[in-house]
Amino acid sequence: MDNFKKFLKEMQKAFLSGVSFMIPAVTAGGILLAVSLSTGTKTATGLVITNAFMKNLNILGTAGMAMMIPIMAGYIAYSIAGKPGLAPGMIMGYIANNPLGKAATTKSGFLGAMIVGVACGFVAKWIKGWKVPKTVKAIMPILIIPSITVFIVGLVYIYLIATPVSALMSGFTACLKNLNGTNKIFLAIAIGFMNAFDMGGPVTKTVSMFTLALMNEGIFGPNGMFRITVAIPPIGIFLATVLFKNRFNQGDRDLAKAAGIMGCMGITEGAIPFAVNDFKRVLPSTMIGAAVGAIIGAIGNVQAPVPHGGFIILPVVTNRVWFVAAILIGSLVTALLLGFLKPNLEKEGQ
Amino acid sequence: MKIVGVTACPTGVAHTYMAQEALEKECRRRGYEVKIETQGSIGVENELSQEEVDEADVIILAVAILIENEERFEGKNILNADVNDAITKTASVIDAAEKLVK
Repeated sequence: MDNFKKFLKEMQKAFLSGVSFMIPAVTAGGILLAVSLSTGTKTATGLVITNAFMKNLNILGTAGMAMMIPIMAGYIAYSIAGKPGLAPGMIMGYIANNPLGKAATTKSGFLGAMIVGVACGFVAKWIKGWKVPKTVKAIMPILIIPSITVFIVGLVYIYLIATPVSALMSGFTACLKNLNGTNKIFLAIAIGFMNAFDMGGPVTKTVSMFTLALMNEGIFGPNGMFRITVAIPPIGIFLATVLFKNRFNQGDRDLAKAAGIMGCMGITEGAIPFAVNDFKRVLPSTMIGAAVGAIIGAIGNVQAPVPHGGFIILPVVTNRVWFVAAILIGSLVTALLLGFLKPNLEKEGQ
Repeated sequence: MKIVGVTACPTGVAHTYMAQEALEKECRRRGYEVKIETQGSIGVENELSQEEVDEADVIILAVAILIENEERFEGKNILNADVNDAITKTASVIDAAEKLVK
């Protein structure tokens, strides 16, 4: 039992280390991305940035966001295995966050990256412990550990982990298609839950694909609901840090400000550090808040013609008042739930 | 008594430094020599040298994440503490450190 507790503690330390090193990449990427997107022109295929300077900012921002998951996975592994875990973890984080070859559905996002980060850490640590002759010992860290760790974890991921994830995702897609015929409110709940579940990850992207497909058919409602939910987790967390100061430490409160700004710009990823830190309290709060927002959007018949979310698309949304109300109320619900679920830090400290 | 330590929190902006301040203050109040290294998001500051580590009677690691150069402390008298406890329950953390020395 004590061993298990120690193991959990080590996992927590590993995840926190990963998040700690990931944060600068999220903020650098997120802020540059948000600035560049704010100058975009709305078209049927998304926000198109015409200004050459802003296009360059967009490239920089996209690169920052692309690095966040590999950095997180790398430092999760680093925390477990030390230096030999870092490179394998980053490589596998990159694999988890990008489609495998042509099968564009196999992408497991930040949840996948947490799994491969831990796996790389333990495999690297295990190899580090091998009893080897002195002559081999010298080449262990530069040759044996990185190559074998990536080989083992990579193959396990590709052959065992990636496939069920893609199957799960096609299952989700099928589910979504059936839902649309039956009940709009139910669809709204599903969109809210699924988007806030992995915050910009593969499940979210599945919902995004689905709403894009409907847009091609000239149906803009589900996309409207979806673009509402994009903004709710980060704005809700920001509101929670304002309303319930004693539930968050100073670092979280500062981080939440950046997340709130990113939320207004339609970037959900700002909420990820909070979700990784405390997913059993944060995910229910954001999922329910997002679902509430989506339901309000469904009732108000909000329609969004662009595949981006948050307040920056307000000029092109139909039923704008409902759109704003949906985001605000959904965020408020998230904030209240967080305030209710999170322990009072001051009380705990006594 | 000589006490050295490291503080580090996940965000590395506030708690790391609050813990440092709390530990230093409490140690000085008790008349101990103290030096606390911080490993915030800016990196290592107020770095402990190997001599300082060797001379210390006890080392307090008030960290929530992986820290750099942990091998400096191998085989030493180490107290693993929570970074939040170092801020809110500073006295009991130092009490525990004292016990390790005795």
